[in-house]
Amino acid sequence: MQPLRIALAQLAPRLGVLEDNLASHRQVIEAARKGGAGLLVFPELGLTGYQLQDLAAEVAMRADDPRLLGLAADAADMSVVVSFVEEAADHRLFISAALLEDGAVRFIHRKLFLPTYGLFDERRFFGPGDLLRAVDSRLGVRLGLAVCEDFWHLAVPETLALDGAQILINVSSSPGRDLAAIHEVGLGTAASWRTLMRTYAQLTTSFVVFCNRVGMDETISFWGGSEVISPSGEAVFTAPLFDEGLYFVDIELGDVRRERIGLPLLRDERPELHLRELRRILAERTEMAIDEASEAPAETEPS
Amino acid sequence: MVRGARPESDESGERKDQLFELPPELAIDTDVARRVMVGFIRNQLRQAGFGRALLGLSGGIDSALVAYLVAEAIGPESMLCLLLPYRTSSRESVEHARLVVDNLACASDIVDISQIVDGYFGRDRELGAGGAAVREAPPLRRGNFMARARMSVLYDVSVVWGGLVVGTGNKTESLIGYSTLFGDSACAFNPIGDLYKSQVRQVAAAIGVPEEIIRKAPSADLWPGQTDEVEAGFTYPELDRLLFWMIDKRRTDDELLSMGFAPAAIARVKNMVAVSEFKRQVPPVAKLGPRTTGVDYLYPRRRPGSARP
Repeated sequence: MQPLRIALAQLAPRLGVLEDNLASHRQVIEAARKGGAGLLVFPELGLTGYQLQDLAAEVAMRADDPRLLGLAADAADMSVVVSFVEEAADHRLFISAALLEDGAVRFIHRKLFLPTYGLFDERRFFGPGDLLRAVDSRLGVRLGLAVCEDFWHLAVPETLALDGAQILINVSSSPGRDLAAIHEVGLGTAASWRTLMRTYAQLTTSFVVFCNRVGMDETISFWGGSEVISPSGEAVFTAPLFDEGLYFVDIELGDVRRERIGLPLLRDERPELHLRELRRILAERTEMAIDEASEAPAETEPS
Repeated sequence: MVRGARPESDESGERKDQLFELPPELAIDTDVARRVMVGFIRNQLRQAGFGRALLGLSGGIDSALVAYLVAEAIGPESMLCLLLPYRTSSRESVEHARLVVDNLACASDIVDISQIVDGYFGRDRELGAGGAAVREAPPLRRGNFMARARMSVLYDVSVVWGGLVVGTGNKTESLIGYSTLFGDSACAFNPIGDLYKSQVRQVAAAIGVPEEIIRKAPSADLWPGQTDEVEAGFTYPELDRLLFWMIDKRRTDDELLSMGFAPAAIARVKNMVAVSEFKRQVPPVAKLGPRTTGVDYLYPRRRPGSARP
């Protein structure tokens, strides 16, 4: 398989200033094209900034918004992942990541898990997505998109890999906190994320691409440290903490096949077992009898 | 506990005289902390549409550290340090404040607040604006008044200087309520308010605050010989450790006891934190209308259009 050049746009969006962020996205798309990137990834809410609160509705765009389609037109022959506040036809707001390819919005992933604890208050302002699917891309492999907190739930990378994704892409606005000398990089958040991404890459034998923003919104600082992890769980590239920049990383997509042949974890996954036990657990939680359907063989399930 | 050390002096292998005591669990990566705080100062100013800042320099470690951070963030030419002594302030305080100003080569000014304070409380036999009733006011009341007089001067000068007032309170004093409401706690933003005193010392040592400032006993300087630690009845390392485990690490009283903290200390600190809750929050507004600030009207402080043009 051909080598793929990935560009990570570790940007510092301006909070609530959509026009400025659109302009910086256009510039970065141009720079990534000149740099020969096949896949360009922007961070979570790169088009709007993170700590929006009641501004969320004011910067929301529909999936067919001409401004978004304009970016798609600029992206043209690259695969570009951008993130924004999406307003659905029924006016629900979502934190979305869109895959732009061939001048169109090819796919939208709506953030599934909205942290509403500690310093987070996302569920107050946004609705959670309901779909978790990998998507075919012009790169010749399926991609799995996820947004920040989605990766703090094991089922997300697992499901995406089972759905055929070979590159798992997480776009984040991860606030840096828990400063402590005991952590490898001096920042608890960064240490946790690094552990997660290496583990997911290894267990799903997929590439993991993590693009995290930098800069500050109000009191919180975002730590960057974007990464690309190989299917064997090793970092191919780690961007510096806190520095804004566009970083290029070359990967061999053939590494996925090599790893999966040598370490056939995905082949040996037991989704039917998982499904059966999940049904039982759910039934027990709700004190209901296990549904008849749970006994049906997995093969009869729609795929 | 380990003794805090300046990393530079460790490289030789021989540990020099230690500057301060640092509980190991409070050790932070000072490079990361510095980076975040400097970025925070720059962002707060930029987003508000200001290029300059000012702060009150007491001669103590907290305001000294903030001065170094502000200098790193925007350059000494864009900052102003105000020395705001009262006539009984120790000479050492003023000397240490001057040392910081000299080291940073930043603009400074001195405003003696004695006339303001004495004008209210009176001096010697002369009554002040407060009349006979305030004549015998205890040191704490006078100290609070001084803190608010300093705030008034800072905010007045900020208009002429064209900069924002940077806060210098640390996490330890904020949590136990050892600050004056609308006095030393008043500011446009505070870069060090989430650092315990022990961590302030660490970053101060790393950034080059003069040793004599790091080494001396912290004091509100309300009366000669006063020190925070004697007044509070705790040393800062003890207090910081207790607050860290109690608040940041959510340990229960029983767990704190089994870690070796004294029951009286736990009870006293818990009480100090609870009774000072009001000092750490914006004053509440009665909910009446459809949208109320801080309740269901929630905008970032810095939103499009909020910066001074």
